[in-house]
Amino acid sequence: MTNRHPWMARLSEYVDGELPADERLALERHLETCADCRATVTQLGRVRDLAGTLADREPPRDLWPGIEARIGGAARVLPFGRRWTLTMPQLAAAAALMIVVGAGGAALALRGTGTPVAGPVAVVAPSGDPTVIPATAGAASYDQAVTSLGRVLTEHRDRLDPATVRVLEQSLQTIDRAIARAQEALATDPNDAYLSAHLAETMRQKLNLMRRAAALVAAS
Amino acid sequence: MDDPTPAVDSPKRAVPDDAVDVALAQSGDTQAFERLYRAHVSRVFSLARRMMGPETAEEATQDVFVRAWEKLGSFRGEAAFGTWLHRLAVNLLLSQRARRGRDLARHDPTEDALERRASRGTRPELAMDLETAIGRLPDGARQIFVLHDIEGYKHEEIGDSLGIAVGTSKAQLHRARMLLRSHLEPQTEDRIGP
Ligand SMILES: [Zn+2]
Repeated sequence: MTNRHPWMARLSEYVDGELPADERLALERHLETCADCRATVTQLGRVRDLAGTLADREPPRDLWPGIEARIGGAARVLPFGRRWTLTMPQLAAAAALMIVVGAGGAALALRGTGTPVAGPVAVVAPSGDPTVIPATAGAASYDQAVTSLGRVLTEHRDRLDPATVRVLEQSLQTIDRAIARAQEALATDPNDAYLSAHLAETMRQKLNLMRRAAALVAAS
Repeated sequence: MDDPTPAVDSPKRAVPDDAVDVALAQSGDTQAFERLYRAHVSRVFSLARRMMGPETAEEATQDVFVRAWEKLGSFRGEAAFGTWLHRLAVNLLLSQRARRGRDLARHDPTEDALERRASRGTRPELAMDLETAIGRLPDGARQIFVLHDIEGYKHEEIGDSLGIAVGTSKAQLHRARMLLRSHLEPQTEDRIGP
């Protein structure tokens, strides 16, 4: 068999154009005289081409509930819906307010943190509210999440209306200033638990604000 | 460079714009991750079904998405999310297969079954039968056929992933195609020509 068809084991490589020139030429000389190998070459090519046309199929049942259960229900406390049915400017205003009047806000306000944006005071989230504490995905670090969100917000800012973008950017600047101040203060007073808690809370505010903005982008 | 998606791009599908949902998911938003799941599940499930077989494909698909959630922090957006997910899926499925292969000492009747079917002749619904026939390939040949001919990986990449020589990958691919050929086109000789 191999004697009669010395190239049989290499025909797939031939079909894929992977043979060096000298071997290809020798194989083609054999093909000229061998109808069996010519037929096999045709069939192998058809199998390969057919494989490339196979369609993907949905799983027979919804696999998401099982995944959701395994990635942790805790991460599901997200700020959408329920008590947070706010427009972006309101959210931004709320976030800015939280910086100033939230935990530790008084001290920062005395040092001249940005002016609170006028907004419905009723929406200021209580700092103990579990909905403001997002779980981060797996190994995704805070910085990673903020970087990614910042990137998509920059790339897709045209999907948000200009007023929203303006308020969002102002709020983020305010938050960033607050974070920088807290970090400075912590640098001189590293063991201050109150400052640490305030910094953590402010960082969470930032993440939440960016998430809400990104959710608006995703919904647009 | 934690992104485990170097040169391999999945050639077949268009890449949707997942960037926003990826960023949200990275910040812990499971709803965004669910959207990513919905957008990519048929792709992952089909890969799992072909590589693992229908019995374990659902669980393997879930494993892939749980792992993707855990690893999301290492995704830096250098490749499309779908490409990253696909590579992660291939690696996970291969390691699961390897583990299962070690656990089960098994005798593999699939090749005989294929030959028997071929000799009995087949129905004309080729594409549908191809999925069935792929499922009956011997493990090694099937993995390599799926990765090479369906998923578009190169022999060098397959060799790296599986820890085998390029020549072995080529030989297994040829073996798979030869088996599928005899299964799919038993009457080719009669039909060929005008
Ligand atoms: Zn021949």
